[in-house]
Amino acid sequence: MTRLSISSVGKTYADGTEALRDIRFNAAPGEIVALLGGSGCGKTTLLRLLAGLDQPTTGSITLDDSPLNGTSSAISAVFQEPRLLPWLNVADNIGFGGQRLPPATRAQRTGALLERIGLADYGARWPRELSGGQQQRVAIARALIGHPQILLLDEPFSALDPFTRTSLHGLLLDLWRELQPTVVMVTHDVEEAVVLADRILVMKPRPGRVHDMIQVDLPRPRDRLASATDLMKHRVLRAINRSLADVPSAGGGAPSGFSPWV
Amino acid sequence: MNRVPAWLIGLIIPVGFAIAWEAAVVSGVTQGRLMPPPTRLVQTFIALARSGELQTHVLATMTRVLIGFGIGAAIGTILGLLTGASRPARLLLDPSIQGLRAIPSLAWVPLFILWLGIFETSKIALIAMGVFFPVYLGMLSAIQSVDRKLIEVGRVFGLTPIGIALRITWPAVMPVWIALLRSGLGLGFMFLVAAELMGASEGLGYLLVDGQQMGRADTILVAMIIFAVLGKTCDTCLVLAARPILRWQDTVRAQL
Repeated sequence: MTRLSISSVGKTYADGTEALRDIRFNAAPGEIVALLGGSGCGKTTLLRLLAGLDQPTTGSITLDDSPLNGTSSAISAVFQEPRLLPWLNVADNIGFGGQRLPPATRAQRTGALLERIGLADYGARWPRELSGGQQQRVAIARALIGHPQILLLDEPFSALDPFTRTSLHGLLLDLWRELQPTVVMVTHDVEEAVVLADRILVMKPRPGRVHDMIQVDLPRPRDRLASATDLMKHRVLRAINRSLADVPSAGGGAPSGFSPWV
Repeated sequence: MNRVPAWLIGLIIPVGFAIAWEAAVVSGVTQGRLMPPPTRLVQTFIALARSGELQTHVLATMTRVLIGFGIGAAIGTILGLLTGASRPARLLLDPSIQGLRAIPSLAWVPLFILWLGIFETSKIALIAMGVFFPVYLGMLSAIQSVDRKLIEVGRVFGLTPIGIALRITWPAVMPVWIALLRSGLGLGFMFLVAAELMGASEGLGYLLVDGQQMGRADTILVAMIIFAVLGKTCDTCLVLAARPILRWQDTVRAQL
């Protein structure tokens, strides 16, 4: 099991924009950490650093005390868009996530995952023949076929309708229970964070910083409609409001006490 | 109206024109010396085919166009991929290639003839050059416009740069490549005619010149029609060959 450590990570782009400042948190093995925040707070930048697609300007990211240099087979990701390769059929897209697996294992896991994501009969289809939700299921399967130790999720459900989103939350949690990856997910959806995460980091923008950290000590499986869930949502919303009150919002923004995420 | 196949509508003008022209010549309204009627074109075609002349010309023409196209397309593809994928290669090569492109391709003819002689080599060089530029430019921009997000997928899942080139960049530019080959082939035929008009002892272009000098409009027209048939046939072959590769695309059926 891998422990992910982010120590005083900052990212300043070549044009001088400071996207992230002094981000620090650890993710315990198997933990689900949600990064919650509005646009411009560097959530996606942070995720790109974790994925090894970009390098932090300051600070370091370590996996079990070894520094992360570029992409790693231990880390896998689901993006905001499915990003399936349109020239590969569904099964081959899932298999694409298992580059380092022996072919027999890859084929066997692809078959099992197709079953798990409810697309057993869709292996030979092209991605364009699938709905958005189905494509995102395939993207989740692709990310998990290699049994990554760290799974990064960049608002993977944000483009989906509430019905599809809820069913994908269930699918994700099932697969997470089975494979136990550490999950770092970016979201701007309070309910999603509360239902999925063990811990929520509320971020604030310009530059992106961690404003607050909330432990979500609700038992699993979680009930979206339970009053404890509601209370937790309120706690998170209050933290968001505090983060907004601290920040002079660009271009007038929302009046204090009102959260645009509600 | 709805029961008439749609493609029949497109035939109305050419078939109508052919019938009218035939009727005009048969009825003596015109002689048809400069604009021979369809039946005379068929006779000319049969005569050329019987004598074996036609086969010689078609063979000569197709050999030139296919070799020239092959060379031009191969070099254009390779250089386009190279400059598209590598910034140093682009900085080094692209300005020179752009400079050469500024010269109208036909302006090379005298130099090609001096360097390569008046026979096959200079003709093939001209065709290859005509095909090269559009394929090169298209590949260069296609490579650069490959979706960065898909490249990132390759990186996240541990592909090496070569793996990314082969498994993401190449399939992503494939549809553009096929389209470039098709337009390159069309240009290849254009430069072929130019090359053959400027001096050839066989080939359909020679047939054009010969028809002009002999005052045989029927020979010219037959050669023109054969050009059209050959061009369309080659294009269709390319599309059919590409079809299994582009099966994943939405639009492939609409392109044919």
